[in-house]
Amino acid sequence: MAEMVKLFVNGQEVEVESGKNLIDALKVVGIEIPHFCYHPALGADGNCRMCLVGIEDGRPPIVPACKTPVQAGMKVLLDAEHIKKIQHDVLEFELINHPIDCPVCDQAGECSLQDYYMKYSLDDSRMRVDQVAKAKRMDFGCGVVHDQERCVLCARCVRFTRQITKTGELGIVNRTDAARVTIFPGRPLNNRYALNIVDLCPVGAMTSQDFRFRQRVWFLKKDASICHGCSRGCNIYIDHHREKYKDDIIYRFRPRTNLLVNGYFICDAGRLSYKEENENRQVTSLIEGRQAPFDETIAAIRQKLDQARKPLILISPDCSLEQMWAVRRVSTLYGASLSGFSDAYVKAGDGDDFLINDDKAANRRGLELLGIKTDRKSFIEALQKTDLFVNFNNDLHFSGVDEEIDALLGTVQSIAVCSHQRDVFKTASIILPIASYSEYGGTIINQDYVLQAFAKAVVKNEAGKDMLEVTRLLGGAVIDARHAWPGIRKSVACLADVDPAAIPAEGIKLQTGEDANVGA
Amino acid sequence: MSDRSQLISTGESFAFDAERDAEFERLVVRYPIRESMIMPALWMAQEQAGWISAEAIEYIADRIGTFPAKVLELATFYTMYQLKPVGRYHICVCRTLSCWLRGKQDIVDYLADEIGIKPGEMTEDGKFSFEEVECLGHCGTAPVVQINGEFHEEMDLKKFKALLATLT
Amino acid sequence: MEVKILSAKFGIENAHLLEVAKQHGAYQTLDKLFSMTPEQVIDEVKNSGLRGRGGAGFPAGVKWSFLPKGLDKPVYLTVNSDESEPATFKDRHILVKDPHMLIEGIIICCYAIGCHHAYIYIRGEYTTQVRALQRAIDEAYEAGYLGETVAGHEFQLDVTVHRGAGAYICGEETALLESIEGKKGQPRSKPPFPAVVGLYDSPTIINNVQTIASLPYIIWEGADAYKQYGTERSPGTHLFGISGHVNKPGMYELPLGLPLLEVIDTVAGGVWKGRSLKGVIPGGSSTPVLTPEEVKTVTLDYESMAAHKTMFGSGGIVVLDETVDIVELVKNLIDFYHHESCGQCTPCREGLGWMLKIVEKILAGNGSVADIDLLRELCDNIEMKTVCVLSAACTMPVRSYLNKFRHEFEAYVADTAS
Repeated sequence: MAEMVKLFVNGQEVEVESGKNLIDALKVVGIEIPHFCYHPALGADGNCRMCLVGIEDGRPPIVPACKTPVQAGMKVLLDAEHIKKIQHDVLEFELINHPIDCPVCDQAGECSLQDYYMKYSLDDSRMRVDQVAKAKRMDFGCGVVHDQERCVLCARCVRFTRQITKTGELGIVNRTDAARVTIFPGRPLNNRYALNIVDLCPVGAMTSQDFRFRQRVWFLKKDASICHGCSRGCNIYIDHHREKYKDDIIYRFRPRTNLLVNGYFICDAGRLSYKEENENRQVTSLIEGRQAPFDETIAAIRQKLDQARKPLILISPDCSLEQMWAVRRVSTLYGASLSGFSDAYVKAGDGDDFLINDDKAANRRGLELLGIKTDRKSFIEALQKTDLFVNFNNDLHFSGVDEEIDALLGTVQSIAVCSHQRDVFKTASIILPIASYSEYGGTIINQDYVLQAFAKAVVKNEAGKDMLEVTRLLGGAVIDARHAWPGIRKSVACLADVDPAAIPAEGIKLQTGEDANVGA
Repeated sequence: MSDRSQLISTGESFAFDAERDAEFERLVVRYPIRESMIMPALWMAQEQAGWISAEAIEYIADRIGTFPAKVLELATFYTMYQLKPVGRYHICVCRTLSCWLRGKQDIVDYLADEIGIKPGEMTEDGKFSFEEVECLGHCGTAPVVQINGEFHEEMDLKKFKALLATLT
Repeated sequence: MEVKILSAKFGIENAHLLEVAKQHGAYQTLDKLFSMTPEQVIDEVKNSGLRGRGGAGFPAGVKWSFLPKGLDKPVYLTVNSDESEPATFKDRHILVKDPHMLIEGIIICCYAIGCHHAYIYIRGEYTTQVRALQRAIDEAYEAGYLGETVAGHEFQLDVTVHRGAGAYICGEETALLESIEGKKGQPRSKPPFPAVVGLYDSPTIINNVQTIASLPYIIWEGADAYKQYGTERSPGTHLFGISGHVNKPGMYELPLGLPLLEVIDTVAGGVWKGRSLKGVIPGGSSTPVLTPEEVKTVTLDYESMAAHKTMFGSGGIVVLDETVDIVELVKNLIDFYHHESCGQCTPCREGLGWMLKIVEKILAGNGSVADIDLLRELCDNIEMKTVCVLSAACTMPVRSYLNKFRHEFEAYVADTAS
């Protein structure tokens, strides 16, 4: 626990964490100090002047809150007339050269300028002279579009490319009110995190080519989730919306702060992976290429499993812990071999030293902790012996065709329980659609053994069932995610004390030793 | 100030000549960080070519080991860096307080009306380019004009015309 | 009225050359200097009452004593030779006419504060001046006054000249540091102050050229000798620059404390063309203007200027005759500060451009009384809301013109109303 200090805000005593600046410390106790340029990931710059606050008996008496650490006994003034006037005046200066094009601006609804105008001003413009002309719609690369005229020059984007990605593509050129953010000619943004700039921008100056003009943000439902794009498990918001008479569609992923996992950011690939949740979905049940009712398809799969001499079940490393457990139970029920073989999910050398991992599997640690084998040798041996291959959503073609495995698959009857239409599932004689991770809840464990929970966000019109529900219909004993846990707890030492309903937002860093990985 | 970030490309690569190359190495050891060399290097590029091209900025960034966008920031922030070609005689007329009080406008008007160049422009033959600059620190001998770095003090229209006549 | 301490060698032919300068006493203080302890040097400078001559007037010796002790970091001296405040042209004379006096001063300061590498930041416009300065530094290295030892004394000292490139703001001491570090000259928030975290994150002293150049005299002649000039609280001499509408504009070394009007009339030859006085800018363009009435009572020192609600500043005096159009002058001023705003802080970046356009509107005959009032209000809204005082350097004088010469603004507005 950090040391706490008491100070006064507008005469009221509050207790806050020491070592923080006024913006961060007071935010925790519900006091907002307006600001544009400060961001906890980028530090205090002090250029916007929106966070100026009064310090009673202070020298100087007016300070930028972003650069002022909390001190015991400090008397902070936020609602004094002279401070409110500063906020009002600084906002006026921010707005005089701004186009006020909110009706056509994507930031509308989540714009600091808009919010602060409603809170601190509401005055008519006094600008009766020509505005400074700046550029619109500049293509900065990586899907980032810059509208110079909306920019408040807070320099968050520039600092991001210098401090975080260390790629330095952006700069603020010129000075005075000619100052503007730009790229060096012919050298656009070129890093794998560039779209974070869109989130960082407190106004509508940086927008996403992908999201622009697709949806007004106030229509979006924002649900917390975990990106399944790699084994980092970055925390995200799934922003989705069901337009009248249409389906529930995801419009974007945005990073959700988790200092234990991803800090404030996500990679662009993960951010844009929302599209995969919308597209190429398996929505119909198929038996020998014929569309079949769901119940009939389930019955057909049960029959095949009952008849099979030596079934092999393959599970995806993206599955939740609960799904893995349930599939493991089903495999036992039918005397099937179980594999989590997923070498294709590892793209060696693709990762970096920030957020992107080589391993694109969201829950490989889950397989490992549940003692599900993932090695190629045992999978191939099992594949050679099997007479029925049931694939629970594992994309063996994730990194392209695997000729050795494809040759073996050609000789065996296969069933695919899958969320997406993929090449690897095409040869299956029975295909059963299931939900993808935005449509169910569960837990996953990232590469660094952080256990995280996520909840169902999207409700599709033609909703595939949770894989876990499929296992129940196949005769499995696990009724729902919660019911998987007594077994998981017993089976995995480092999960023995976990209450899935009480996993904190930042997750739980699991204590794993050599002996923690006991598969039952 | 207008936007200075629209760089001009020469289409040819840039590198310091031998003299400036040596100067760069002589200076770089005098600073604990290489980025301190951005400004000196921009000066050297300008002295060598007369102005600073997009290629020169990229060369400097590479040479120092920093981002071109950062060198661009400095090149556009500091207004003495010429980001487009200048005339054989680059005329800077001080426009600030004391020079203004003592008649700099006569010189500016003369350049516009008789020579045909407004601030930021160059004569078609490339002989003269002209900009109005802020205080040159010669207020006691105002108005002052700087041509290719040389100061000409206590100017008036007559003296200025005579001065231009000496420039061939 | 004139005295010759800093300008003692200005009249001597070729005094910028080491050989000549030495014949007239250059570097004579060094043996005495190295016989003193650094603390004794600091005390002597403190006793002299020498105040920073860059504009703020902070006591130099006191500034030096803010350096933290026992840090495992180098200490830097940066000499501010940016001299960009309109109406200021004093340091230039030192750079060209007696650069060895500056180098000697640098040696003194560096010895006192334990600095082994000094940087001189010189504005880019000073082309001939930088050549003169660099030549003197080269001579000093050659002669053993700089380098591994200083005049045979065990003290290593390097001096490097860093050229600016056209940015007034780099006269602000932290913008100057940023500029040396290879960044845009954008002032830093304080605290921390440069004496604690300065150049390359190290403790740094920043002094103006004239301040440093005053040191050889103080060390050689002693603090008491220096204090015999000027007033008790504003001791010493200053290189005043007098420009504008006078008969004999120029740079004059004068003791502090002289009556302004007398200086204009006797030293600078009075208002030119037999015209009468409309006002005087006393200390560079950023200082509030004085009316002819106020000019009668003010003296050239920090205290009297403060009492008249203006500032000593850089000692750059601008005389305005009766023909000056104050609204045009205000436009010229705002144009300057707007052009030189570093673009960092919102109120200055956006506000000065707004002010400029309002004045242009008034001058174009399209203004109203509301515009004058808005201009006046914007001065308040911008001032002191920013990291540095550039915006105040604009709003303070503009406010003074609006207060003291409002009728001239109203005249423009009245024309349009009719």
